[in-house]
Order: sequence, then structure tokens, then C-alpha cells
Amino acid sequence: MLKKTKKTLAVLLIALFALSLAACGSSSSSTGTAATESKEPIKIGHEVALTGGSSLWGQSEKQALEMEIEKINAAGGVLGRQLELIAYDNKADQTEGVNVAKRLIGDKVVAIIGPAQSGVGIAASSVTEGAKMILIGTTTTNTKLTVNDDGSVKPYTFRTCFIDPYQGKVAATFALNSLKVTKAAVLMDVGSDYSQGLSQYFKETFVAGGGTIVADEAFRSEELDYRAQLGKIKDAGAELLFIPTMQKEAGLAMKQAKDLGLDCKFLGGDGWASKELIELGGAATEGAFYVNIASLQDPTIADWVKEYAAKYKMDPVMPNPVLAVDALKMIVNAIENTKSTDSTTLAEYMSNMKDVQVLTGKLTMDPKTHNPIDKPAVIETVKNGEFTFYESFAGK
Amino acid sequence: MQMLMQTIVTGLAVGGIYALMAVGYSLIFSILNFSNFAYGGIIMLGSYMGFYALTLLHVPFAAALALSMLGAAALSFLNERIAYSSLRKRHAPSLYFMISAMGTSIFLENMVYATLGSSYNAYPEIFGQSSISLFGSTIGKLDLFAIIFSLIAIYIMNYFIQHTRTGIAIRAASYDSEVSQINGVNLSAVIGLVFILAGLLAGVSGVFLGMKYMAYPTMGWITNKAYISAVIGGLGSLPGAVVGGLILGVLESLVSVYVSSLLRDVFSFTFLIVLLLVMPSGLFGKYLEEKV
Repeated sequence: MLKKTKKTLAVLLIALFALSLAACGSSSSSTGTAATESKEPIKIGHEVALTGGSSLWGQSEKQALEMEIEKINAAGGVLGRQLELIAYDNKADQTEGVNVAKRLIGDKVVAIIGPAQSGVGIAASSVTEGAKMILIGTTTTNTKLTVNDDGSVKPYTFRTCFIDPYQGKVAATFALNSLKVTKAAVLMDVGSDYSQGLSQYFKETFVAGGGTIVADEAFRSEELDYRAQLGKIKDAGAELLFIPTMQKEAGLAMKQAKDLGLDCKFLGGDGWASKELIELGGAATEGAFYVNIASLQDPTIADWVKEYAAKYKMDPVMPNPVLAVDALKMIVNAIENTKSTDSTTLAEYMSNMKDVQVLTGKLTMDPKTHNPIDKPAVIETVKNGEFTFYESFAGK
Repeated sequence: MQMLMQTIVTGLAVGGIYALMAVGYSLIFSILNFSNFAYGGIIMLGSYMGFYALTLLHVPFAAALALSMLGAAALSFLNERIAYSSLRKRHAPSLYFMISAMGTSIFLENMVYATLGSSYNAYPEIFGQSSISLFGSTIGKLDLFAIIFSLIAIYIMNYFIQHTRTGIAIRAASYDSEVSQINGVNLSAVIGLVFILAGLLAGVSGVFLGMKYMAYPTMGWITNKAYISAVIGGLGSLPGAVVGGLILGVLESLVSVYVSSLLRDVFSFTFLIVLLLVMPSGLFGKYLEEKV
């Protein structure tokens, strides 16, 4: 028995080593010169969370890209070449994100779609910029993804979503004008760039618009109990609680708030956009509002949603898939118009893109910040246990 | 004043769960003298079992709790037999046990990712969204039930260990396993039993955590707090684990409200470090060596 266990253990260990070696794989392996590979597929990298807490969106993102690439290839590909998607799992983790970016650079992809998390994207861009590799974040709303700390733009890094200041502004404006509240509290995740960014811009706009922040509370990522903070928020007499976190924390926070008898409106950002918010928060989420990048009920993408649902027998997990498809369309458009797969040429072209038809509408890139200009936002609400389109915020 | 009361009540509700898990840690530490980091994984699986018992088998809550306790106990027992017993027979240093425990923990977490997926599973609402007033502060019915049930479970566990024949064997083995073996204690059986007891508590913790929050693959993370509670109370001491859990829960809550929720962990962990500097073996600890 003992011997057998030993043997199994040894085999397992060897397998582990082999795996880890494969993971660090040689990035120097050349794929031939440009001339000989011209009929080879054009490789597009996908940096995505396929396991871990964000995998729900990541899996859907990958499925959406696979569906689109299948269609493009069936129609003859791009410049007569087929597209090939190379997706690696970054577990929504910053270190993994950098490793995945390095692997994709080694694989000689034309451009990288993703990641979906601002923190991971900022970390990954530190290696992709140096390698002149194009990286297009999907739901990376933090401003620092595309610009350096000194305000200069990162030449090879883009995004297809709006940015946190805009989202924070939309939330604060909605709270002041549509919900007519003047006393708001914030509960944010101190371990997340996304959450910190959003809460900062919400507070700035809310105060500038005449509102007061009565409580400004935080918790650490992975923490599950916010009752202490919520008790303080209740004591401060908040009319609205802004929770710029992911769906897990927001769902729990709303449930715990109701347990404590905190009677106020809830508002959040695009991190809420998962049915789990309602499953976790239960009845407490009824009537809560959040800002989203795209809505399943948005008429612009209705046909695409139907197509996806027919192929995969489930709805896309919003909003990541549509933004990833936007990124893919950006890349394809750039390759077709420049007739090139050279990253510098493509990046220059993308910087000055204007009114390019993508899935969510027309995309115009701001060359100074690499942020799309005037991306529309939507406000959704929870009604009878379902996310429902409430109103839309067209780009200013 | 009402705010202070509410803060303490909230802290006790969180601390009660820390205490329950900390007892499981301490129980195993007391006999094998190592920190069983796989315990978080057992709690996580216990939570999943409770979730599936309620949602797939549609059994009443008490039956789901019982199933989860039995399942977690079986897993805990297997954990010892597969991952630790051969190390024990070869008298491996406790560092090896801990590495094995960490490996088991990562294995369990990733196994759940691979088979059940990464989604968050909310338990059905058993107590509804009702809360009751207690000395002018609000507490969820579930929290109150969890605290009371936890304390009863811990009390029974403590009684069993202090007053029964088997309990005495466990205590004897925890003081000196060699000598107790010479005196006729079946060490292997005693250790198996300790893991089963810890597993029963893991099942309870898992179900309560699931009801309070949810069941998901990385929920074992919260056992870090339980581990810290066990260290505050003194690893190996059951009353210490309870007191440590409650202290940590209340302290976190107080710091959040009266200092800053942003600095909560900074303050809590500074307290832990200072406490360990003054009392290296925790509040009720007996052992000093090999505490990791």
C-alpha cells in the first residue's frame, strides 16, 4: 500500500514538474519569417480569466470571440488568412496576467484582447509596451490602463469600454438627478483598483453636484462581513449607499444592510452585472440600480445576443463578451485597412480610428488617451428578481 | 452607546464563526502539533454538501446540517489517513505535515473549480430576512442561532474531551503520544477520532458560513482568521480558541467603526503581533515549540 502511494506520488510529482516546465515554455522559439508565414493563420491572443472568481465572464468572453472568429474564417478570413485565437488563463491575477502576456508575446500574436480587470491590465501592459505588443482591455475601466502616471499615452495599449471617471460620474449624476438623494455613503473594496477608482470619481462628482458623503467605508478583498461598516453607515443617516465592487461583495453587503435594518437605496457599477448578485443578495437587491457598459436588452446588440444564445444555449454574461468582440473588430478593421500585421503600423492606425463600426455602435478612439470617445452607458435595475433596463446615458 | 452595543453584537456574531473553526484547528494542533491548513478545504466542502443537500435533495435544514457534518467528518478522516498517516509513521517533522496540508488545501480548492465551477452558491433563505432586537441593537436570527449552536457544539466537544474515557485518551496522547501508546492507547484510532471530531465541527462551520455568506471554492480563505484566533487563544487550547475567536471578531468590528475600516487589518494584526510578543504562547497556550 505504502509503496503504491509512493509510486503514485512520484508520478504526480513528475507530472507537476513537466507541467510547470511546459508553462514556462521557451518563448524564443521562432515561427519563421514574415514571408514564409504569410499563408499561416493570423494569431490573436486572448488574456482571460478561465478559472477563479471571474471565470464566469471570462468563459463567456472566450465563447463570444470563438463564435466571431468562426464567422470571419467562414467568410474567407482577413487578408486571405484565417484567424486563430490563442487564449491563456490569467485567473484574474496580476502575476498570472504578466506571465500570460509574456507567453502570448512569445507566441507572436498580432494583438492581445483582454484582460478584463484593470489591475491585471496595468500589470500586463508593463511587459506588452516594452515588446511593442498591442493590448486591448475589455472591461478595464481604470484610467491608468492606457496612460502612464505622467499622463502620457501608452502607444500600444487600448480599451473598448468607458473609463471609471465617466462611470463614477454617471452614477453620481444619476443619484443626484434621477434618484434625488443628497446624502450618500460609500462602501468600497480597498484591495481593488477598480473599486477605489470608481468610489473616488463618484465622491468628487457627487460633492461637486451639491451632495454630501456622510460615510466613507472600506473593506479588504475576500472579506465577507461588512456589518460593522454598515452599522456606521446606518448611523450616519445615508439615503443612498454606493457599492462599487464585484457582484459577490455587493450582494452580501445589501443582504447584511437589510439585516441591520438599513433602509436606503443601493447603487453600483458594472461589476454588479451577474445574476449571482440577485442570488446572493436575495430580496435585498430588489430596486437596486447599477451603471453598466451594455445591457442584454439593449436593442443595438439584440441580434448578436440571440445568435450567441442559439449557439451556446445560454445568454452571454454581460458586459465582457460584447467588449471583447469590439476589440476583435478593431483589430480586424486595422489589419484590413493597413494591409499589415506589424504592431507599430496597427497601433498608429488604431490611435486615430474614427467611426469604426463595432458591435456596440461606432467607435472613435481618443489619440491622447486611447479611450473610446462617447461610449454609451446604461442604468439597470433589479425588478422582480431580474435585471431590467432602466435608462440609458448616451455619451455626453 | 447604542452604536457601541451594536458593534459588539456584530463582532460577537462574526467571532462566533471564527471560534467554531478555530476549535477545529486547535483540536488537531493539540494532538499532532502542526497547523492543518487543509481544514479550510474541508469546511468549504462541508458547505457545498449542505448546499446540495438543501437544493438538490430538498431535505429539511436539520438533515442537511447532519449530512454535511457526517460528510465533512468522513473527508477529514480520509485527509488524515491519506495525507498525514504515512508521514506520522515515519516520524516526519511537523514542517512536512504542513506542506502536505497546504498541498491538500490547494488540491481541494482546484478540484472544486474543475468539477463544480467557480460560481457563488447562495443557500436558500432558511430564517428569512428577519432580525430581532437585543438590548437596543439588531441581530439577524441566523446569527443568533449560529452563535448559540456554535457554543453548544463547542461545549459538547469540550465535555467529551474532558470527561469521557476516549477524551482522556485523546488528552493523554496530546501530552505525550509515545508514553500514551506504551500505556495502551491506540494512537492511530485516537488521531482518526480527533480528525472526525474536527470534521464534524467543519461541517457545522461550513453550513453556517454558507447560510451567512455563500458557498464558493475559495471560501476556505476565511479560515485564516480562524487560524489567527487559535493563535491568539493559544494553539491547542479549546477554550483559548473560543476566546480568541470572539476577541478577534469584536476587535475587528470595533476598529472598523471607531478607528477606520480601511485600517482594520493593520490594527488587528498589530494587536496580534504585540500580544504574541508579550505572551508568546497565546492566552491559554501550553506549547511553545514548533508553533508556525
